[in-house]
Amino acid sequence: MAYDKKPLVPLPFLRSGKTASGRVELEGYQVAIISVVVGLIGWQIFSDLVIANSLFLASPTQVLEALVSLSLSGELWAHVKTSAVEFLLGYAIAAVVGVATGLLIATSPFWKSWLQPWISGLYATPTVALGPLFILWLGIGIWSKVLVVVLLVVFAVTINTEAGIRSTSERYLEMMRCFGATPRQLFLKVSLPSATPFILAGLKLGIGRGLIGVVVAELFGSRLGLGRLIGQSADSFNMPELFAAVAILAASGILMNSAFSKLETRLVPWTKD
Amino acid sequence: MTADKLEARALTKHFGDLEVLHEVSANIREGEFVALVGPSGCGKTTFLRIVAGLETADGGAVEVDGRAISGPGRDRGFVFQSDSLLPWRNIFDNTIVGLELAGRISAEDLARTRKLLDLVGLKGFENYFPRQLSGGMRQRVNLARALAIDPELLLMDEPFSALDAQTREIMQVELQRIWEEGRKTVLFVTHQIDEAVFLSDRVLVFARRPGRILEEVEIDLPRPRTIATKRDPKFVTLVDHIWKLIEHDVRESVLFEHH
Repeated sequence: MAYDKKPLVPLPFLRSGKTASGRVELEGYQVAIISVVVGLIGWQIFSDLVIANSLFLASPTQVLEALVSLSLSGELWAHVKTSAVEFLLGYAIAAVVGVATGLLIATSPFWKSWLQPWISGLYATPTVALGPLFILWLGIGIWSKVLVVVLLVVFAVTINTEAGIRSTSERYLEMMRCFGATPRQLFLKVSLPSATPFILAGLKLGIGRGLIGVVVAELFGSRLGLGRLIGQSADSFNMPELFAAVAILAASGILMNSAFSKLETRLVPWTKD
Repeated sequence: MTADKLEARALTKHFGDLEVLHEVSANIREGEFVALVGPSGCGKTTFLRIVAGLETADGGAVEVDGRAISGPGRDRGFVFQSDSLLPWRNIFDNTIVGLELAGRISAEDLARTRKLLDLVGLKGFENYFPRQLSGGMRQRVNLARALAIDPELLLMDEPFSALDAQTREIMQVELQRIWEEGRKTVLFVTHQIDEAVFLSDRVLVFARRPGRILEEVEIDLPRPRTIATKRDPKFVTLVDHIWKLIEHDVRESVLFEHH
């Protein structure tokens, strides 16, 4: 539709004779790209001229060099692969368990009362702090990290799923009952689609929490992983490598979030305008 | 078996200490269009919801075609005050939802639903989503959805109350046109007296505290009625008569109650 077109963003400092308002106007994403480029240039200048000491701050070009040399040596790939496996395993388990638990407590008053104190309590608890304990239990390999990711992600998903089912509009339920819907049909044709935006929001929230979980759990003790890379870089004051690891984490977070937004547009178009 | 489509006998309903309905009886003939009017809180909507099976009466009985009702059923189609269209379904899938709940959808069902959307003036909007439609169009879908299950009885709960005045007038004429096509038995709740008179063969005037039928008013205006009918002296006299019946109750409900 015509009104879907986003308005152009006028730039506050520049003027030009080409547009009616005399202002230079760009698409929103173009302004965003310029913002990032300006930020990187600022960072570069700052680290070249103000804090010209790579023990404290690495410049973007130094980070890029570190990324190249780490990937050429194959070291980077090993770290990334380990962290990715930990994240994906933990996230997948948390997604399945979280949605299932959310649906269970939303439909059963008994299980809601039974599980709610644990869910609320553990959601608010910084369970990453249990990382060292999990290493004692499960060893220094990936499973202690997977468990941290599961614990950080699962409750966000559960709470959102339950809230989604619970917030199903009574108007829709009554309308469907009026047309003779069975409880099963009410659940499948009303509650579940109505809760989908909430479930997706919970899963999206889980991406950031899961990434934090992987890094922090690896910092507590690990042989490989981006958290491990960050830890050893910090110990040896190798700022370029530290920033390289952080940059990869940031990039994967951004990538997964935008992939999720695309998924939302496809799965729940009615929540978008 | 009675000749009446709907028979309600001595329906009584309490909400707590409040007697919402006091022994309300009404008979609706096959193919008749009956409106229920009254001030807010007179129990007209509760009466309709009991007939729909969405509420149970404390006393009395409701029969459709001589069979006692015991809950919602597909012999009655309900048109809701708020359209309650499912936002994740397109217009076609919203319209066919009642048939879908009943079981497998036949090719005949599909064709029928298409024809109904055509009848309510929404041909070409099958693949639109509710949020893309205006309030008047959404109420047309609401109506088509109720008609899709081919009910014995069409129950309408103030379906035009959320629409602006002009759209409402158009929808009244439209509803009459659609009704003429199939001559369903209709029970139509409204607080607008002119709307009730314009659409109905008979108006049941409700009073409040306790909710009861004050008077039945036969509307013998010729059909089809048009916007011009509303200026007919006979129309004006009927509206005036009903207004005088409920005026006291309306004042009371407006002045002494703040919902």
